[in-house]
Amino acid sequence: MIKEPEVLKIVKEDILEVLGRKSKKIPLKLMKLEISVSQFFVSKAINELEREDLIKLSLEEKYGKQYIQLTKRGQNRAKDIIKKHLILEEYFKKRMSGKKAIKATNILEHYISTEVVDVIKKLSTFKKKGIPLTRFKKEEGLITNINFSIGLFERLISMGIYPGGKIRIINRVPNGVIIKIKNKKFVLDKDIAKEIKVLEYKNPTL
Amino acid sequence: MKNLKILLIGQPNVGKSSLLNALVGPRVTVSNYPGTTVEITKAKKKINNTEIEFVDTPGIYSISDRSEEEKVTEKALFEENEDGAITIVDATSLERSFYMILQILEARVPTVLALNFAEDAEKKGIKINCKKLEKLLGVPVVLINPITKTGIDKLVDAILKIKKATRQGFEVEYNDHIEGAINKISSQIKKTFIPKRFIALRVLEGDEDFYKYLKDEKVIRDAKKSLKDHSKVAEDISITRYGTASFIAEKVTQIIPVEKEKKFEEKVDQILLHKTWGPFTTILFLLVVFGALLYLGNSIQGILMGLTESFLSSFGTAEHSIIAMVLIQGLTGLAAGVSIALPYVFLFYLLLGLLEDIGLLSRFIVNAERFLKKIGLPGKSFIPLALGFGCTAPATRATRVLSSKKEQFHTASLFAFVPCSSRIAIIMGVVGFYGGIKLAFSVFVTLLIAGLIWAFGIKKVIHVKSEPLLLELPPFRKPLVKNVLAKSWIRMRDFVYIVMPLLVIGGIAYGILDILGLVNIIVEPLSPITTWLGLPAVIIIPLVFGFLQKDLTGAMLLSVLGSKISLTLTSLQIYTFGVASTIGIPCIIALGILIKEFGVKKAITLTASSIIYGLLFAGLAWRIISIF
Repeated sequence: MIKEPEVLKIVKEDILEVLGRKSKKIPLKLMKLEISVSQFFVSKAINELEREDLIKLSLEEKYGKQYIQLTKRGQNRAKDIIKKHLILEEYFKKRMSGKKAIKATNILEHYISTEVVDVIKKLSTFKKKGIPLTRFKKEEGLITNINFSIGLFERLISMGIYPGGKIRIINRVPNGVIIKIKNKKFVLDKDIAKEIKVLEYKNPTL
Repeated sequence: MKNLKILLIGQPNVGKSSLLNALVGPRVTVSNYPGTTVEITKAKKKINNTEIEFVDTPGIYSISDRSEEEKVTEKALFEENEDGAITIVDATSLERSFYMILQILEARVPTVLALNFAEDAEKKGIKINCKKLEKLLGVPVVLINPITKTGIDKLVDAILKIKKATRQGFEVEYNDHIEGAINKISSQIKKTFIPKRFIALRVLEGDEDFYKYLKDEKVIRDAKKSLKDHSKVAEDISITRYGTASFIAEKVTQIIPVEKEKKFEEKVDQILLHKTWGPFTTILFLLVVFGALLYLGNSIQGILMGLTESFLSSFGTAEHSIIAMVLIQGLTGLAAGVSIALPYVFLFYLLLGLLEDIGLLSRFIVNAERFLKKIGLPGKSFIPLALGFGCTAPATRATRVLSSKKEQFHTASLFAFVPCSSRIAIIMGVVGFYGGIKLAFSVFVTLLIAGLIWAFGIKKVIHVKSEPLLLELPPFRKPLVKNVLAKSWIRMRDFVYIVMPLLVIGGIAYGILDILGLVNIIVEPLSPITTWLGLPAVIIIPLVFGFLQKDLTGAMLLSVLGSKISLTLTSLQIYTFGVASTIGIPCIIALGILIKEFGVKKAITLTASSIIYGLLFAGLAWRIISIF
């Protein structure tokens, strides 16, 4: 169940995205058709966007219609949103069929935090899929892939070991690897570690 | 008076046991501990006009059916008929905790969120906005600290209102194809109180325990088939759920950069988990534990022995009626339990509990796994094996932490070579006392060699594929004495309630057989065994009756040979006796627990073959040694 402020956030991002893609002003009526939620939310979102100085509304006397367009600030924001969308789409296309990927992207782009997007961006810019954790020699890395059947996959993800996660290798023991991810330390068997693909990743803030 | 049944759910090391302590008070402490028990425990507490029953569940990371802990918790959630749950959340890793909370909300279990370790999180620069979290998830959130008892009253208030709490909170939305599948399965579900959406999700995630809620066989077959065709569905569900969890976590947390915390802990881990220093420190620690144990155990044992002996001798002058003699044997059994095993076993479990709560035990598991793996055992078997040095009976029950019956049986079979307190008493008290410490040491070495040969052999026979090591290493913490004591008591419980009464029964049985003159009957027919062992024929009596009551083996040896053992037996014979009496499933009590866990056939096969193996090994060992 999504609460109201979230709906509003999603609608606002969608409006910016539509405007960014069309890169020109469009009639307000058309916009309301493009965004398939209740008019109440669209109007509210437009009000907020205008207040935040991201869009501006103008009345074209000639057609007697209200138009909507991006401000300078709005253009930058829209660019970011589109970029985020593209990154996600690319990421999901690799994992599912085209139509589903687009659908997943549409849902997820509003939900995924900037950190996650940042990580996915890194993931998709790397062409190769990463090397097994057992062969990984650096101290910090990014999990690009976990090759497991459902059982272990869910176990790992519920423990907080997930694709896109930043990991730090603390220690190597003959039977496995000791890693730290999000403040938690784990020991992974060699058999598990070799199915976890990792890329070098250095976060300056880490 | 109202009744409430509340489940306690949380990850391992999240502070569940401390919370239960804080909620119920130390007098009713019952709890479970990661790696040792996988049972649910219950504790009641009357608050205002309501009796709240708390049901503690094993620590898990997600609602699933893949490990024994998960199965037990899942069963508790859906078969205990609870009014609600307290979900304990680790503030230092929110998104991970939220994964399970999202599942609990999907199952529409009314829940109160107890946020633990908020101070730790703040030290790490993580600030959590509880109000926002409450709003977002639609469940009450209470900040707690079980150690200082902060927030416990608030938590109780929230629990008392839990019946009024809404069953619906935040719901994860999945991709259309998953939502489509959920809808399809939802329409094929039997009438039950569990939300259809949740059942559908569990089925899609491959949880076989949930097939039973599907309408009929055909639906189950269809579900299985479509799961095979879309093997990525479960993965997608996990990813979306985790993504949502991290989204929520990010929404409610504010990261304030802090100065890098000191790396002391990591330095310690560098040593404890070093490829050579790790096993070395592990062995060193264990040796210190055993040293302390033998020292402390001996002094406490001395005091208790004095007390029980004077108590028993007060009976000695009483009339020697048959009943009195039988009773005296029973009391002797009890006395042996109280004075020999009790201090030793309790101290051992206390020290083990301390190591566990400090966080050292999981490091030891990592080091031990390297060697356990070679004999076909999973790393987790370290804890039951270690408990075996206390008493075989509770240790056998502790094998339940292992994920398959085969692994459990494999581990249990090694208890034939892990000397329990009573067998250590034989080795130290008989072999060490009459033959010297070197001889006692060589018995230990022989046990180790016999055990390794057995383990390699059985690895070939049973062929177990053990689970790969995947373990969270908890941060080092100052142990809570109250918790450690409670934990030692739980591990002791089996010993006190099962082993002690059986010691009395064993003693009485021996008394009756003795009076009837049946004891000596076995000497003649079993003489081939003593001949093989190169021992006097009467020694069969302590060997056989030791199985009724291991603690009396030494005393029986004295009674058949007289006190001048070192004159009657050569050191090689003392050694042989030590080996023959300590290899094998030790006693009838251990056999009883084995039957309970693995069934009559397997238990008897294991017991008989391990004892025969022990006798063969002892006979071979002295022959080989006497060559030199």
